[in-house]
Amino acid sequence: MKLAWQNIFHDRSRFLATVLGVSFAVFLIVFQGSLLVGFLQAASRFINASDFDIWITARGVQAFEFGATLEAREREMAAGVPGVVETGRACMAFAVYRKPNGKQQVVALVGADSNLGKRFPVPELAETTESRSPDAILYDASDRSLIEVASLPAEVEINGHRANIEHEIEGFGGFLGVPSLFTSYRNAARYLGVGPDDGMYVLLRVGKEYSVSDVQRNLRQRLPEVDVLTREEFAHKSRMYWVIKTGAGSAILTAAVLGFLIGLVVVSQTIYANTMENIEEYATLKALGASRVFVARIVLIQSLICGAAGSILGLLAVVPAMHYARSLIPWIHTPWWLPLIMVVLSLLMCSLASIASVRSALTVDPGRVFRA
Amino acid sequence: MPDRFLAVEEARISFGEGDARVRALRGVSATFERGTLSLVMGPSGSGKTTLLSLLGCLLSPDEGTVFVDGVAVNELSASEKTVLRRKKISFVFQAFRLLHSLSAIDNVALGLEIRDGRRADQIVMARELLLQFGLGDKLNREPSGLSPGEKQRVAIARALAGNPPILLADEPTASLDAEAGRSICQILRSQVDKNGRTVVVVSHDPRWKEFADRTITLSDGQIKPQAQGQHA
Repeated sequence: MKLAWQNIFHDRSRFLATVLGVSFAVFLIVFQGSLLVGFLQAASRFINASDFDIWITARGVQAFEFGATLEAREREMAAGVPGVVETGRACMAFAVYRKPNGKQQVVALVGADSNLGKRFPVPELAETTESRSPDAILYDASDRSLIEVASLPAEVEINGHRANIEHEIEGFGGFLGVPSLFTSYRNAARYLGVGPDDGMYVLLRVGKEYSVSDVQRNLRQRLPEVDVLTREEFAHKSRMYWVIKTGAGSAILTAAVLGFLIGLVVVSQTIYANTMENIEEYATLKALGASRVFVARIVLIQSLICGAAGSILGLLAVVPAMHYARSLIPWIHTPWWLPLIMVVLSLLMCSLASIASVRSALTVDPGRVFRA
Repeated sequence: MPDRFLAVEEARISFGEGDARVRALRGVSATFERGTLSLVMGPSGSGKTTLLSLLGCLLSPDEGTVFVDGVAVNELSASEKTVLRRKKISFVFQAFRLLHSLSAIDNVALGLEIRDGRRADQIVMARELLLQFGLGDKLNREPSGLSPGEKQRVAIARALAGNPPILLADEPTASLDAEAGRSICQILRSQVDKNGRTVVVVSHDPRWKEFADRTITLSDGQIKPQAQGQHA
């Protein structure tokens, strides 16, 4: 279809405008999508970082960040349920952090037993060669400027207790607007004034020969005063809480939806305008006897060329933009499938837009060819 | 039985509604014989282009019948009309209507592709047609690089690609100077004489009279009675 290619490349400025329109849409959707995906991941990061199958929380807890204390007996009773082979604890609460320079800062303090999994940020890691004391405090690299420690280890205070910041980790930057500190469960309980045997979250590992849902059902019968959720259920609940019930989450969701719609409109308008620019030529083709398929094929090929070029340009623009954005928004995340989906989606959007615009091309009155 | 190779019978057509309604043709009947060049003249708004649109299957009459290659086109579907147009009819326009992004040879090749489908030799055939019209040195020029006369010759070459028997031309010399206009008149006349095509030319240009086998004059949507010695 030489005509399709020639139409595109003949008027380079129009082609550039079309490609820029599509690439803007792709960029917008990928960026907004990355914000949403990153936010959703961050909302359930700690839950997903654990290897345990079931989470027990106080009744009505909506998200990991807003837990409530559970009594020690709940953990003991859960441990006795058939199928439960291991238990662990985690807690999270806000605390006052006094920096080495004397300034104070509210922090999110996360404590966890060391058996929660390799990915959970706790001081004792079996595989590490670094020497970490069980009561060490860790912080995420993205919070470095707020933690304000000149060198490690550094002596600080948390809720009036002396504490040692010993290591910097990566990948656990939060969206709460306050830095997160990570330590052992025992240490965190001490800082937060929680009884040493009490828990905020009780995590259970289910034996391989047992069904998680059966054990969950059993637990619910035995522990009617608490919520018993699988890891996926609690992660989903936490994500939904943050994205639906909080202003920030709703704004990100709305922005992502609007980004998608705006992208769709931009692509549609751009492709439609591109088709309408050539409407006289389509009328000529029809007058010459070109079939509907012939004309539609030209419009579709033009749209797909613009879609492919716009997608590539948009994705190329996303790479440096995301790199920069990550320095400001540590939790933003572009999963590998998002750009891939976006390429397919943009080609689909271009095809749909071309179908809409091809209607104009196909229904154009061939009689207009006589109007000079 | 009259030859209904290309004809209209009692064709009536109106545009618009209410007070804005314009009766473009009011019972026009005309037969265009095979292998002739017919000239349709008349003032602006007389219905010349509407008649050409009917003959080209681009419009359907409100009443009356249009025959192309003996077929009453009123009864055909839009896609059947498209096929008929593709096989039998070709157009030459006042504004040339060349595809601006294609070279002269590609414009002609596109005409071939539309009529005959994609063919390996379509560029060779397009080249031959353009050579016939003295455009051998302009094959790869885009329309913007051609003079008006050259554009119209490319448009005629495109119209002749695929060898359609009917050629409908709407003011083909209106945008051309005297010399280029005369050249176009000669080219279309030769298509009648050498190839037996049926050519209908709508024009204000009186130069066409010497090249036409007959002249039809339209006035206010009707064929004007012919002066003695002429026939419609």
